[in-house]
Amino acid sequence: MTSSWFQDPTLLAAMLGALLPFVSFVLIMVFTRPYPKLSATISVAAVSVSVICALFLLGRHWHLEHPIQYTTKWLVSGELYVPFGFMLDQLSLLMLTIVAVISFLVQVYSLGYMAGDPGFSRYYAFQSLFAWAMMTMSIAPTMLQFYIFWELVGLASYLLIGFYYEKFSASEAGKKAFVMTRVGDIAFFLGILLVLLNFGNLNILDMNSVDVTARMSPALITLCAILIFGGVAGKSAQFPLLTWLPDAMEGPTPVSALLHSATMVAAGVYMFARIFPFFSKSATAMTLFLAIGMITMLLASTMAMVTRDIKQVWAYSTISQLGFMVMGLAAGSYFAGVFHLTTHAGFKALLFLCSGVFIHAYETNDMYEIGRQGGRGLKIPMVCMTLGAAALSGLPPFSGFFSKEAIMGGLAGLHNPIWLWGGLLGAFLTAYYSFRLIFLILFPSKIKEPHHGEHGGHGHGDDHHHAGLYWVMAWPLIILATVTLVLGLFQTPLENFLVGHYGGAEGHGGGHHAWLLYVAVGLALSGVGLAWLEFGRKGASQVGFVERMEPVKTLFAERWYIDHFYRLFLDYVIYGIFSNLFTRNDRQVIDGGIDGICRATVGGGRMLSFLQSGMLQYNLMVMFAVLALVALYFFF
Amino acid sequence: MEFANFPYLSTILFSCVVGLLVILVIPAERKMLIKWVSLVFSGIPMVLSIYLFFAYDKAQGGLQFVEKVLWVDSMGIYYFNAADGFNLPMLMLTGIVLFTGVLTMWELELRVKEFFAFTFLLVAGVFGVFMSMDLFFIFVWYDVSLFPMYPLIAIWGSTRKEYGAMKLTIYLLAGSALILPAILYLFVNSGLNTFDIVALMQPGVFTPFQQKFAFILLYLGFGILAGVWPFHTWSPVGHVAAPTSVSMIHAGVLMKLGAFGVLRVAIFLCPEGWQYWAQLMAVLATCGIVYGAFVGLAQTDLKYVIGYSSVSHMGIVGLGLATVTVDGLNGAVFQMFAHGVMTALLFSSVGYIYEKTHTKMIPELGGMSKIMPVASGYFILAALAGIGVPCLASFWAELLVFISAFKTYPVRGALAICALVVGALFMLRVVQRTFYGEKNEQFEHLPDLTFVPGIPRMILAAVIVLFGLFPSVMLDVIQVASVPFINGLP
Repeated sequence: MTSSWFQDPTLLAAMLGALLPFVSFVLIMVFTRPYPKLSATISVAAVSVSVICALFLLGRHWHLEHPIQYTTKWLVSGELYVPFGFMLDQLSLLMLTIVAVISFLVQVYSLGYMAGDPGFSRYYAFQSLFAWAMMTMSIAPTMLQFYIFWELVGLASYLLIGFYYEKFSASEAGKKAFVMTRVGDIAFFLGILLVLLNFGNLNILDMNSVDVTARMSPALITLCAILIFGGVAGKSAQFPLLTWLPDAMEGPTPVSALLHSATMVAAGVYMFARIFPFFSKSATAMTLFLAIGMITMLLASTMAMVTRDIKQVWAYSTISQLGFMVMGLAAGSYFAGVFHLTTHAGFKALLFLCSGVFIHAYETNDMYEIGRQGGRGLKIPMVCMTLGAAALSGLPPFSGFFSKEAIMGGLAGLHNPIWLWGGLLGAFLTAYYSFRLIFLILFPSKIKEPHHGEHGGHGHGDDHHHAGLYWVMAWPLIILATVTLVLGLFQTPLENFLVGHYGGAEGHGGGHHAWLLYVAVGLALSGVGLAWLEFGRKGASQVGFVERMEPVKTLFAERWYIDHFYRLFLDYVIYGIFSNLFTRNDRQVIDGGIDGICRATVGGGRMLSFLQSGMLQYNLMVMFAVLALVALYFFF
Repeated sequence: MEFANFPYLSTILFSCVVGLLVILVIPAERKMLIKWVSLVFSGIPMVLSIYLFFAYDKAQGGLQFVEKVLWVDSMGIYYFNAADGFNLPMLMLTGIVLFTGVLTMWELELRVKEFFAFTFLLVAGVFGVFMSMDLFFIFVWYDVSLFPMYPLIAIWGSTRKEYGAMKLTIYLLAGSALILPAILYLFVNSGLNTFDIVALMQPGVFTPFQQKFAFILLYLGFGILAGVWPFHTWSPVGHVAAPTSVSMIHAGVLMKLGAFGVLRVAIFLCPEGWQYWAQLMAVLATCGIVYGAFVGLAQTDLKYVIGYSSVSHMGIVGLGLATVTVDGLNGAVFQMFAHGVMTALLFSSVGYIYEKTHTKMIPELGGMSKIMPVASGYFILAALAGIGVPCLASFWAELLVFISAFKTYPVRGALAICALVVGALFMLRVVQRTFYGEKNEQFEHLPDLTFVPGIPRMILAAVIVLFGLFPSVMLDVIQVASVPFINGLP
């Protein structure tokens, strides 16, 4: 880094944008915890600066030719050089902007949502920690820095999921999220270690260059790609590490909107895009990722079809959309994946924040209950949520339509049609479950149904202050809804920005299949139609076709028993076998052995002490015997 | 006689000795005076050791602040103190842990005089081992530091204290019994008639066989104190039985003494023995890492949990030493420092909770975050450092060790890395059961940590965060010693 860092506006903006939230985190944790208003002000101010910086950078480098890098020494050990720095290119600028904007909106929204919470300061401290980690990760120049801040993002997520820590389910969910993503991260770490040892460099641009193939064998690249993908699977909740994300909804709703839909879980997909050229050097790995993406998407969609919890629906849909993005990237369409990531961030944050208003107002997560209590009375969130659901279902002209089409185009370009069929099936299911939720709230059934156990609300005691804060919470909704409406129109400029100048990566394959457009929209519409028949129309039974088949419903509701499997594995293998066995070994074998030696020593001493009895005749007898033996030895 | 400038190292050492003597002449009833005297005489080493750490000339490298006086001519015993990249972090660690330990015991009422006297005796021995460059003195200081543990645990301890104290003493003396013959063996076979480590470590002094033989004795002898698997069982028991500040010094500093002994004596004098036995060291270290994490998972006593996490973390030090690489050595020394600070913070937080609630059984606690948010916050911070969250000190140490271990021993390295998941699981489980969840009504009235008793925890937490954010401050110093050492290997 040059000495004139303050003269370079780009660097200054990057530093301010990425590091100010950390300053805010430290300030809140150390000094301003007792003053909630001040803490929130500091945090929101910091993230506002981040937004300004990010937008400034995006505007300044809209016609970026070559990636800009700034690095400084962080650590040197022997031959290992770990830099800390920033790398700005089209992708990282885009991600930086997304993260900054969504963080900002969510923090503003939280002013209303979290008002009066005893942990208000702590909440904003963690939000700042998250913003810092996520933004520094987005513009990391090396995979090691990427990994470091990736882990910190995981930490922030752990803290925010378990924010209501007095609730067992919340602390359990936080722990589960941390440990489960840790499993993926270990693979990720091993993967980058392998790259480091064999390629000797973790710079992202170098890893993406053609150099890699010269220095690493194809098999090794495949192995590294699969290991690194473990991280993606953990963070983006891909099969088989997907079950932590639904549980993560225990956090406050704005947290779900920020982390577990728009930004943090998208970090996995972002990493995929970040080292997309590296991944795409291994066709085997890409096919595997395609399969994982598809399995994830379909599994999560089925789960979303039977849940009653409004946040759970969006959680499952997040998983399934992430799977869809992974499919898009793995199909080779770099732009399509990133574009869907961008649009998804907008409309999924919108959906969650809308749900938050409902949950806040009615103190329940149950969508049947919200509908019955007159959920549609909340005009702004209701309209916004419908817009978001339409975007999620891929209906034109909303943003989701464009990005989904782009991915479908990519899938259609593949040799094997099964991927496209899977994608289309997913689109159908997505439209179905999204509008199931919308219709349930919009047209609640008059039939009184048996009361279901309430899924934990968020535990606010009083709801007298809601009305005044409604507008604080409504503004972010309107902004996001506008984004959802217009973002699709920016497809071409975004594509030029992202792909036009990007050397190695190719554009999205295909997209020129006119029939595909009609089929995809048709399927989405029929999904909506089916939802209408079952839940929307007058006199609808409001029982889905899945719910009629009891075993299938149970299978879906139990999340395909993946969690049961993990539970059994943990209880019987980790606790039951290893932990138990080792502990027993410690107590009985090692300790027992040592104690045995001690007892033997003490016992031996006691035995010998009988000889020292002080009785003269015994001593004389022994002396005589010894002398006799010595005499015998000498004489014969 | 050779005194470069002001004898900083001796001042550190003798401030503990003088502190001990001053405490001995103060009447036992003047408890407050004794505490203040202790604080002053523990503050001097801390300030000086931090000063030395930053005053060390990295460009020049080598041994600095040398104090060398011939003591026994006929046997070549020198009073020889010096600082290099390996012992500077250790001296700073000892200074910090001693000072914070004294502050943590501010509320002590039982036999205050004896307690602080023994503490100073213990720490004098620790400082002596860390700064001495003479084999004879290393051994003497080493035994000086072992002896006070027995009364400290047996008098002021809890949970099965006599058993714990006795077990610890026997184990450590067994270690000494291996070290002494090895030192004498080296002394006799060198033919140089000196205990000076700098003279003995010259290449060619010992034959490869002598090195291999002496190394294994020294490794096992010092390794017992470092909690090397399977000689670790004294350490959790001892941790549990010891009073708070003794646990801090014990886990934070004393176990490092063992690892440092392996480095300074075994590895320095027998580099070929080191390379020969490295495979075995890696196996034992990996076993320790994995085993410690799994056993920790089954514990219900907070202090046992920390004890087993120490076994696991000291395994990382051992693994780093076993790689015979610059990164491995750097990581091992860094981990000694980071783990020392982290464990001290863990024990001091648990100490506070135990002092107020009179229990350290996890099932009896719960919801402590609501009752004492600040005290809980420190524990959670240290626990996060323990599971290797980035930008906290031990992350960097673990990173370096794992990189080098994965390079040298792929399978063992990968196993150790996988143990991170179990480590995370068991630490978070403890955090969840102890600090989260419904609060226990019984403890609701208990006060949280206030500012003044919070100071020692604040110092430790700040050290963890600062070295986590700026790891090169630490590594640049360690590098100065490790790079020439590895390059000079035969």
